[in-house]
Amino acid sequence: MFKKYILLALVVLTFSCKNDKKTDDVTQEEEIKEQVVNLYTHRHYDTDKMIFANFEKETGIKVNVVKANADELIQKMESEGEQSPADVLITVDAGRLVRAKAKGILQGVNSTTLTTTIPEYLRDADGYWFGLTKRARVIVYDKDKVKPEDLTTYEALTDAKWNKKVLIRSSGNIYNQSLMASIIANDGKEKAKEWAEGMVNNFARTPKGNDRDQVKAILAGEGELAVINTYYLGKLLNSKDALEVDAGKAVDVFFPNQGDRGTHINISGIGVAKYAPNKANAVKFIEYLVSKEVQEVFAKANYEYPVNETAQASELLKSWGDFKEDRLPLSKLGELNKEAVVLFDEVKWQ
Amino acid sequence: MLKHLKRDSNQWSLYTVTISLFIAIPLLAVVIYLFNGPGDMWSHISNHFLWDYISNSIILLFGTGLLSALFGVSAAWIVSNYQFRFRNWIQWLLFLPLAIPSYIVAYAYVGLFGNGGSFIQILNSLGISIQKIEMMNHLGLIWVLSCSLFPYVYASSRAVFLSFPKSIKESAQLLGASHRRYFFSVALPLASPAIIGGLFLVFMEVLNDFGAAKYYGINTFTTGIFRTWTALEDLQSAIYLSALLVLMVFGINAFITWRRRKKSYELKINQSQRNNFNKKTLKGKKRWLYGFILSIPVLFGFVLPVVQLVYWAVLTFAEMFNAELFWIALQSVGVALSAAFFIVITSIVLIYFTKWNHLKGLRFFKKMVTIGYVLPGAIIGIGIIRSSQSVIDFFSDGFGLKIGFLFYGSSFILVYAYIFRFLAVAFNPIEANALKIGKNLGEASQILGVNKFKTLLKVELPLLRNVIISAFVLVFIDVLKELPLTLILKPYNLNTLAVSAYAYADDERVAEAALPALVLIFIIALLMVFLNYAEKTFLKATAKTK
Repeated sequence: MFKKYILLALVVLTFSCKNDKKTDDVTQEEEIKEQVVNLYTHRHYDTDKMIFANFEKETGIKVNVVKANADELIQKMESEGEQSPADVLITVDAGRLVRAKAKGILQGVNSTTLTTTIPEYLRDADGYWFGLTKRARVIVYDKDKVKPEDLTTYEALTDAKWNKKVLIRSSGNIYNQSLMASIIANDGKEKAKEWAEGMVNNFARTPKGNDRDQVKAILAGEGELAVINTYYLGKLLNSKDALEVDAGKAVDVFFPNQGDRGTHINISGIGVAKYAPNKANAVKFIEYLVSKEVQEVFAKANYEYPVNETAQASELLKSWGDFKEDRLPLSKLGELNKEAVVLFDEVKWQ
Repeated sequence: MLKHLKRDSNQWSLYTVTISLFIAIPLLAVVIYLFNGPGDMWSHISNHFLWDYISNSIILLFGTGLLSALFGVSAAWIVSNYQFRFRNWIQWLLFLPLAIPSYIVAYAYVGLFGNGGSFIQILNSLGISIQKIEMMNHLGLIWVLSCSLFPYVYASSRAVFLSFPKSIKESAQLLGASHRRYFFSVALPLASPAIIGGLFLVFMEVLNDFGAAKYYGINTFTTGIFRTWTALEDLQSAIYLSALLVLMVFGINAFITWRRRKKSYELKINQSQRNNFNKKTLKGKKRWLYGFILSIPVLFGFVLPVVQLVYWAVLTFAEMFNAELFWIALQSVGVALSAAFFIVITSIVLIYFTKWNHLKGLRFFKKMVTIGYVLPGAIIGIGIIRSSQSVIDFFSDGFGLKIGFLFYGSSFILVYAYIFRFLAVAFNPIEANALKIGKNLGEASQILGVNKFKTLLKVELPLLRNVIISAFVLVFIDVLKELPLTLILKPYNLNTLAVSAYAYADDERVAEAALPALVLIFIIALLMVFLNYAEKTFLKATAKTK
C-alpha cells in the first residue's frame, strides 16, 4: 500500500517537473521568436486582464504578468539586477514609483506621445515614470446628518465640531501616507503634525478595516465623515452585496480644499525597468495604456479618473462634478513618505 | 572536543550538515544583514512600537494557544474514544478550518458579525435587536485565529490518541481509574509532547499572521516588520525585528525541548495493539454534552465562515466562475503536491540521518532548518532572491552563462522556498512520533542483520504511517494557502487560488475572493475523503495479514 503512494507521488512529481521544464523552454524560445513585454504589477483589477488581451491582439506582443505588492516587486527587481526579466513596473501610488526611481531600477523614456498626453504634474520630469489613472482622496459624509456647507478642507476635519465623528483607516495604508505627505508639502511639518493630532482626537474609533469599511461604519452610525478614495465609492455603489450599495447610497462626495490648493490626488503609475529586455515593447505598451480608448475602459470599469484629458470619465464620476486638483508634483509624495509615517507614529495614529 | 568529533561523527553527520546548510541558505543570506547593525529608524521603532509589538504578540499567543488547545484536545479526545453518529464525518470536518486562510476567516467574521452582517440580520429578524458584535479587536483576533488554527492541535493529539495501545487503557481501568482520571493522569501527560508540538505550529502561524492582524488594526511583530520595511524604508531594522521574533521562537522552542526532556515517555507501539480498542458508544446526557463541545469548533471554525463565503460566492458567481478558475485550481494542486512530497521526504531524511549520527551538536542544525516557519514570508523571499542572485551572478561572471530564466521561469525556486518555509510543519510531528517509537525496534532489527535503510522502510516508516500522512496533508494545506512567498517567487503566468483570492481581497472585493477560497476548501475536503478511504483500506489490509 505504502509503495503505491510513493509511486503515485512520483508520477505526480514527474508530471510537475515535466511541466516546469516545458515552460522554461517556451520562455527561452519566446525570447528569440515571440515579442513579449514582462509586467511587474501591483494592480489586481479584472479590467487590466482584458486590456492586456486586447494589446496582445492588436500588436502581437505577448503580455506576461507577475502580480504582487509594489514593495516586494521593487525588492525583487533590485535583487535581480541586470538579469531581471521585468520590462515595466506598475504601482497603485506615486510614492513607490519615486522610491523605485531613487533605487535606480527604472530608466528614463523619451516619448512625445507620453509627454503630450500626460499632464506634467502626473509624470516624472525625466520620464522615469508616468501616471496611468488618477484617484482623488475625498471626504464622504452622512447625507442625513452632515450639511456639505459645513465642510471645507482636510485641515478643518480637526475642528471640535467633528469630535468623535471622523472615520479613516490606519496609517499603514499608502493612501493615508500620501495624503499626509501632501499636507507636509503644503502646510509644513509643524502644521502637519498638529493636523494629525487633531485628527486622532476626532477619530470616531481606532482606525481599522479598509476604505469600504469606513463607509459601512457611516451607514451603521459609528461616525459621520470618512476619508476615502473615490473609486472605492464607485465600487460600493456597483457592488453585488446589497449592504454595500446601501452604504454607498448613504453618503455623498465632498471635494475638499476647493478654495485653496485643491483635492489631494494620487495615481496608479508605470515606469520602464532599467534593465528592460524589451524596452521598445514596453514603451509601446505604455503608450497603448494612455490612449483614449483604454483610458475610458479604466475610467468606466474601475471608476478611476483618466490621465488622458481627451478621455471621458464615467457617468458616475461625472455626477460627482468637476473639481480642482492639488497640482503638487507627485514626486513630492514619494520624497516625503517616510517623514509622513514618522509623524503618524509620533501622534499615535494607529 | 576534537576527540569527540572524530569519535562520534560518521557519514550521516556529514549528510545532515550538508542538507541543513543547503536548506538554510536563505536564512544565512538574511543573517549577513544583521552584521550591518540596525537601520536609522531603529530608535524611532523601539521608542514607539517595540513594547506594542511584544505585548500584542504575547497576548495573541497566550489567548490563541489556550483556546485552540481547548478546542483541539477536547475534539480529538471525543473523536478518538467514543462512537457516535456522524463520527466519521465530524473527525474529518474538524481538519477543514485549516483550509480557509485566516485572513479570509477574518473578513468572513466581519461579514457575519459586523455592521449589518448576515448573522446580525438573522438575529434582527428574530427580534433580537443588536447592531453588531465587534470583531476588530484583540479578542476578536484571538477568536478568529483560534477558530482557524486549532486543527493543528487537533491533528497532532488525534494522531497520538489513536495510537495509544490498548494495554494502557486496560491497565488504567484495572487499577480502578475513572474515565476522567484516565484522561487527566494518563492520556493527557502521554499526549503532551504531541499537543505541544501542535501548539508550536499554532504559535508560529499566529506570529506570522499578517492579513488578519492588519485588517483588524492590531500591531504585531509581522505587521511591524512590513511597516518598517515598506513605509519606513528601513530593511535593516525590519530584519532586526525579524531577529527578535526569531529569538522569541527560540524561547518557545527551548521551553518545549525542556518539557520534553523533563517528561520523556516511550510509548511502545505495537502494530497488533494499535487502533483497535473498542470505542465507547455515547449515550444519554453525555451525548448532548459531548455533542455540544464538538459542535463549537465545527460551527465557528468551519460552518459559519463557509456559509458566509457561499453567500458571497453566490453573489459573484456569474463573473467569477469560468474555465480559468479550474486551471488555477489545477496549478495550485500541482505545486502543493510536489512541495508536500519533497518536504515530507526531507523531514524523514533529516530526522533519521540525525538519529543515525552520534554527534550531539547537530541539534543546532535541526533548529536552523525548521526556523523558516517563523520568519515572515517576505523576509525569506528576500533571502532566496539574494542567494539565487549570487548563483546566477556566479554563472554569468565565471562562465558567461545566462541562467536567470531557470530561476524566474520555473517553479523550482518556489518549491525550494516552500521547503525552507514549511519543513517544521512536517518535521516536528514526525520527529515527535519517531522519538516515541524509541530506539529499541530499530536496534533489534539491525542486530538481526537488516541494514538501516531497510529497517527504516520496513519497520519504522510503517509505524509512522499515520503521522506521515497527516504531516503530508498539513503541509499540502499550508502550501496551498501560502501567500507572500508565492507572490514574490512564482514564475510568470503561474497562478494559485490563494494568490487570486488575495488579489481580490486586497482590492477590497472580498465577495469576489470567496469563490477561489471555496475551491481551495473543496480541494482540501476532497483530500480528506481520500485520506479517510485510505485509512480504512489500510486497516482492512492489516487485519487481513493478521
